[in-house]
Amino acid sequence: MTAAADRTGSTRQLPKQRLDPLRWLREKLFNTWYNTILTFIALAIIYKFAAVIWQWGFVDAVWIAENRRECLNISPGGACWAGVIAWFKAIIYGRYPAVELWRINLGVLLLAAWLAPLWLPRVSMKTVIGLSTVVFYPFLAGYLFVGGEKGILIQVTVTAAIVCLAVNSVHSLIGVVNGGSLVRTLLGLLRLQHRSEKAQRNTLLALLAAFFAIVFALQAGWTLEEVSWVKWGGLFLTLVISGIGITMALPMGIILALGRRSRLPVIRVLCITFIELFRSVPLITVLFMATTMFPLFLPEGFNLNKLVQVIVAVCLFSGCYMAEIVRGGLQAIPKGQYEAAQAMGLGYWKMMSFVVMPQALKYMIPNIVGNFMGLLKDTTLVSIIGLFDILNMIKAASQDVPWRGLHKEPLLVGAIIFFIICFAMSKYSQRLEVKLSAGERR
Amino acid sequence: MSVTSIVDEKEVLESAASTEVVIQINNMNKWFGQFHVLKDINLTVHRGERIVICGPSGSGKSTLIRCLNRLEEHQQGDIIIDGVTLDSNLKNIDQIRSEVGMVFQSFNLFPHLTALQNCTLSPIWVRKMPRAEAEELAMEYLERVRIPEQAHKYPGQLSGGQQQRVAIARALCMRPRIMLFDEPTSALDPEMIAEVLEVMIELAATGMTMLCVTHEMGFANRVADRVIFMDFGQIVEQNTPREFFENPKSDRTKLFLSQILAH
Repeated sequence: MTAAADRTGSTRQLPKQRLDPLRWLREKLFNTWYNTILTFIALAIIYKFAAVIWQWGFVDAVWIAENRRECLNISPGGACWAGVIAWFKAIIYGRYPAVELWRINLGVLLLAAWLAPLWLPRVSMKTVIGLSTVVFYPFLAGYLFVGGEKGILIQVTVTAAIVCLAVNSVHSLIGVVNGGSLVRTLLGLLRLQHRSEKAQRNTLLALLAAFFAIVFALQAGWTLEEVSWVKWGGLFLTLVISGIGITMALPMGIILALGRRSRLPVIRVLCITFIELFRSVPLITVLFMATTMFPLFLPEGFNLNKLVQVIVAVCLFSGCYMAEIVRGGLQAIPKGQYEAAQAMGLGYWKMMSFVVMPQALKYMIPNIVGNFMGLLKDTTLVSIIGLFDILNMIKAASQDVPWRGLHKEPLLVGAIIFFIICFAMSKYSQRLEVKLSAGERR
Repeated sequence: MSVTSIVDEKEVLESAASTEVVIQINNMNKWFGQFHVLKDINLTVHRGERIVICGPSGSGKSTLIRCLNRLEEHQQGDIIIDGVTLDSNLKNIDQIRSEVGMVFQSFNLFPHLTALQNCTLSPIWVRKMPRAEAEELAMEYLERVRIPEQAHKYPGQLSGGQQQRVAIARALCMRPRIMLFDEPTSALDPEMIAEVLEVMIELAATGMTMLCVTHEMGFANRVADRVIFMDFGQIVEQNTPREFFENPKSDRTKLFLSQILAH
């Protein structure tokens, strides 16, 4: 060690550079005469745009009015935000009954609460928590949003979801407070540390079963008013369709990509046909076909409502695009990784899960997130087949009698909403890339 | 100062070979498409034997040892390892792969796992060992290859010689009965070759059956029970190191030796 230290000689740190805004301006914006001219032109353009938007959007804007006629009377050249404010609830929630809106809000809050532990530092078993969200949350949210009579199956799944959320939350709380886990804390409280593993497992399972029974009994008496899917709309509907599409796209894409690379000819041909079929037609065609031709393929009397048909179509479509992204990522992994895993005796699925996929997913992240963002925006196409997603709601605002002709303002608000969501996705993906590159030599 | 001269000064290892046959290759032929890459290979390896395979590039030496753990498939002939015939039967392949360890020229460490995790992956998921026991095993082998302090570093943070030693430890964690080395030092800087060869010599001294494709003739001289020369897919000559280097029989062997021992 000492020999190595002597070899490095007199290493010093890079001398600190002082930040000097005047110098930065001089070097970056005004360094040559043509750059100076370009800077002034750019500043002029930015000012012009900003001034127009400021004038239209804030100074001359009307915030309170009863209808568009009144807006125009008060301020003919300004934005009529009053219309957007009047229609805001519809743009976000669709035509969901006002008294039941708390159910949607609760659903979103529960999702946030379920996923929050993934960001907290000292919580263990994050993968299990993440997977439990995908498996159980849809049942709880589904019942919250739809409501109605609860069959035994729905009661069981809703109970399971509530139990899962409770267990996750307590576990995360324990993790944050003292870095432990729920299992260890329970074992400590019941003084079971020294019993056999079998005894420990049985006791914990019994506790879980008892908790399940209590929650089941509690929720049996509680029903929610049924809200038909016809009333769903706005941002809520857009997020439901794209949320389900996004969640299903990645697993479907992985399976299709692995199938496409399979050595078994039947699987390979099936996967290639499926992928190429859905990639060759526009999404709007798939949606039309789903709503008109789906009923032909289903058994007699088994009717799917339009929303489910659309969701299935969106899932299949995005799954096929995702399959190609996954296949690209798999090809980027050097053959030596596959060989080393095989030489160690890892079977196909273990090799994929532990060696190939973790590396490949890292390369695929920009493409995957781009695909998700595209999916979110493509769901606006459902407005063409009569579902009232956010775009259709915005159009409805401009056709509503008191607000006829109000185009610019709702569209701008819609654009801002989409921008916020997509930007958040993009930022998250960048963080994910940085986190997953840990240990790599740049 | 070449590695050959450093190693020559030390003693040649005693042979640990027994009479038990552990690899039997009969009339093996392999084609890559239309190209006949391995021709009529016949080879018998006994337990504890250490074999060095050398030859010009393209002679099929790497392909030969890759056929032994089914990374390549042979089209004709038999390969029988430890009594198990190597064919397309997946169970046989899995069984053989857990008994045969391999070290690659480009290390092929898993970059998203630490050195320790690289070593414990297979014991945990193939041998179903509990995690604590697997980690103890991995630390034992990392100590044997003399880098226990790097256990929690990622491969990207290690030098080439350290990476190759982690790769050797990773292969040893499966407790294989046969070790295959595919040009293990060819991708290393000269100053790191010695540390990897030291580890391989220590491994040989424990009686491991080894098949090593390498250009390190000093290593061959010191460790090998048999040196095999391959050219254009055929085994041209095989002999003890002393006989091989001092009395090469075939002209092709003489040509090859003159080329590599010249500098």
